Amino acid sequence: MLFRLLKNSFLKRPKSVLLVFISIVMGASVATAFLGISGEISHKMALELRSYGANILLEPSAVEGGGFLREDDLPKIKTVFWKYNITGFTPYLFGVADFSANGKRERGIVSGTWFAKNLEVAGEEPSVQGVRGIAPWWDVQGGWPAGPDEAIVGAALAKRLGSAIGGHVEATVRGKQQRFQVVGIVTTGGYEEEQLFAPLITTQELLQLPGKVSRVQVSALTVPMDAFGMKNPAQMTKEEYEKWYCTAYVTSVAKNVEEVMAGSRAKPIWQIASAEGSLLKKLNSLMLLLTILALVASAMAVSTSLMASMAERSPEIALMKAIGADRYQISAIFIGETLIISVIGGMVGYLLGDQLAGIISRTVFNSTIASPFWLFPTAIISAFVVAFAGSVAPLRRALSIEPVRVLKG
Amino acid sequence: MNRRRWLLHLVMGAIAHRKGRALLLLSVLAMASSLATALGIVSTSMEKRVAEEVRKYGANLVVTPEASRLDIGSGGLNFGVVSEPAFLDQGQIDSALAKSGVRAEHSYQLRGALHWKERDLMVEGVNFSDIRRLFPWWQLKGSWPAEGESVVGNDLATRYALKPGDSLELVGKAGTVRCRVSGIVTSGGEEDGQLFVSLLNLQQALGMTGQLSQVRLMVTAGNDGIKKSAAVLQQLLPGTKVSEVRQTAHTSEGLLTKVKLLMVMVTAVVLISAGSSVTGTMSTTVLERGKEIGLMKAIGGTRREVMLIFCGEAALLGIGGGIAGYLLGSAIAHFITRTVFSASAEFMPHYLLVSLGVSLFLALLGSFGPMVSVFRLDPVRSLRGE
Repeated sequence: MLFRLLKNSFLKRPKSVLLVFISIVMGASVATAFLGISGEISHKMALELRSYGANILLEPSAVEGGGFLREDDLPKIKTVFWKYNITGFTPYLFGVADFSANGKRERGIVSGTWFAKNLEVAGEEPSVQGVRGIAPWWDVQGGWPAGPDEAIVGAALAKRLGSAIGGHVEATVRGKQQRFQVVGIVTTGGYEEEQLFAPLITTQELLQLPGKVSRVQVSALTVPMDAFGMKNPAQMTKEEYEKWYCTAYVTSVAKNVEEVMAGSRAKPIWQIASAEGSLLKKLNSLMLLLTILALVASAMAVSTSLMASMAERSPEIALMKAIGADRYQISAIFIGETLIISVIGGMVGYLLGDQLAGIISRTVFNSTIASPFWLFPTAIISAFVVAFAGSVAPLRRALSIEPVRVLKG
Repeated sequence: MNRRRWLLHLVMGAIAHRKGRALLLLSVLAMASSLATALGIVSTSMEKRVAEEVRKYGANLVVTPEASRLDIGSGGLNFGVVSEPAFLDQGQIDSALAKSGVRAEHSYQLRGALHWKERDLMVEGVNFSDIRRLFPWWQLKGSWPAEGESVVGNDLATRYALKPGDSLELVGKAGTVRCRVSGIVTSGGEEDGQLFVSLLNLQQALGMTGQLSQVRLMVTAGNDGIKKSAAVLQQLLPGTKVSEVRQTAHTSEGLLTKVKLLMVMVTAVVLISAGSSVTGTMSTTVLERGKEIGLMKAIGGTRREVMLIFCGEAALLGIGGGIAGYLLGSAIAHFITRTVFSASAEFMPHYLLVSLGVSLFLALLGSFGPMVSVFRLDPVRSLRGE
């Protein structure tokens, strides 16, 4: 009997059922989309902010300048505790050189680095490390060096030397010479414009410093610094130190990297790190507030549409009462109806919301997103709870009415 | 009672007799339009807020003498100047900035070596009030310097065991700078190895009054504005090089676009879903009134009149909901901007129109659709409740 009643209630008034159904689907899809992306967005934003460049600088620990780091230690950066937070790193080896091209002689800096080196570390996934990854703002005309004697030249240095793409630059350091082919000209508006960038291995030979690097720039995903993070690690208790070490503050990641590079000290580049921290904190709290706003709004929309559709049915309830149904039977019919609509609505809403989250993620961040699986039951259950909450008030009012008065009209 | 007053009477009566229903509709309409208002206000002000945040990355334009070679280094690594330095004229920069109309904060900097205890120190002359704005990432131990005080980079301080309170006597070509160390700066960049004194003192000590080695500018501009400002300044400053700091300028533009796009998507998703829900609720309440419509038609109401009554009702609700929604939405937007950016949201009266528009549109759409389907019914049948 209950089943037949339910079936007919859906089939005989398809329009109002459809309206309620649509509102549940919409509510559930907004909830799914928001819950799905809000967690991801802070991660995506953090990745996005990494394009501001490296936030940790490793240099030789000798304060007086001079001193070098060992190239052999570099792969170890991919094995540290925070290895998954490190999005890239690049070594540099600097030296003053005399450049000559087109008959002009100029003094400048030759800088050996990795452009895009395939790094294979045992037990880790192979990765590509180098300038191209951590300094996306470099505006390179021409191409990136591929061979060992190819180089890119900073715009200011290129102007002084009068060299162009395809030309050659001769570098001389303490009597040793190396001829580079210019494959690109780089504009950054910074120090890079005064340098010649060549592959690390060639530069090591030129400077006669095999296996040495002068600096390493590390780009790492970090959490914003808070009051605890600013404390001096040297004065922490054991528990505090553990907590500090296991939180991805820029200082603790720096410490972590410093430990694997012999004779190094790591400094956070505060220009990048502090601005990034405060920006991330704000974007995260904005997303949180927007998510709450969207959830509350969709819950309200679903409840009210249920309320409206229940309210029109008081004559039906009165009739049921008149022919002898008790409160429980009536409640069972209506709750059953709500349950069916909201489970189906929740399911459709979840699928739709999943798509929505995907669309947002693709358009904004050019990347795919997978909604976590726990969202599926959550979407259905929350759709039911919200729908139920919306129907309780009108149902209670309908149950307390006098059948005679309503039936009279 | 003339016809128009009679219609008005009917509309008011319909609302007054179903107070609960009217309240429900009013609240959903208010909710939808408040969402539109709040999200609209937040997204419009978002660009400005994020642009302000991005300023924390520092200067986006640098003016250097054309002849000079930039200092050598990479990402905060500095090797000093390789060749003989050249200088900028402070007066020329001042007048160019005033003439160009570019809105920018500036920091004048002069770099030079001063002699201290048989050593040459790399000294940077700056205005500390500009530094605080353009280099907000400086982590200062001690205090910001007052008149006759200086700031020492962390590495330099470690190397020479300097601490706040120490006195320095720095000898230059044309004079001597006497100053007290007031603080130690850590930045992770080249600042760590430098000594900062006030610009005027350094200019006097080096005998280089009115000369600068570098000007850093933070230009307030939207899309493309930075490049344009650079071009304008370059024209006014012959003999110098105005370059865009791509690391900050380029990346910030990309970030702003992303944030804006995200806000637009979020707004669209929320509005479409809330809007369709509200329209649905509105339709439900009209559908259930089939009997009433049948009655009106039976006693001789034309389609137009019935439509007028229902639309009038919907419009009244829409206007009420729109106004309430604007107030609520502004409050929400204010709350969000205050919590997130600790700034008060601007007052945007034109969003009242947006809010009214959204609310009216949803109300009319919600009652119009079902009404058309009710009209198709025969009055006799709808009166019988079929």
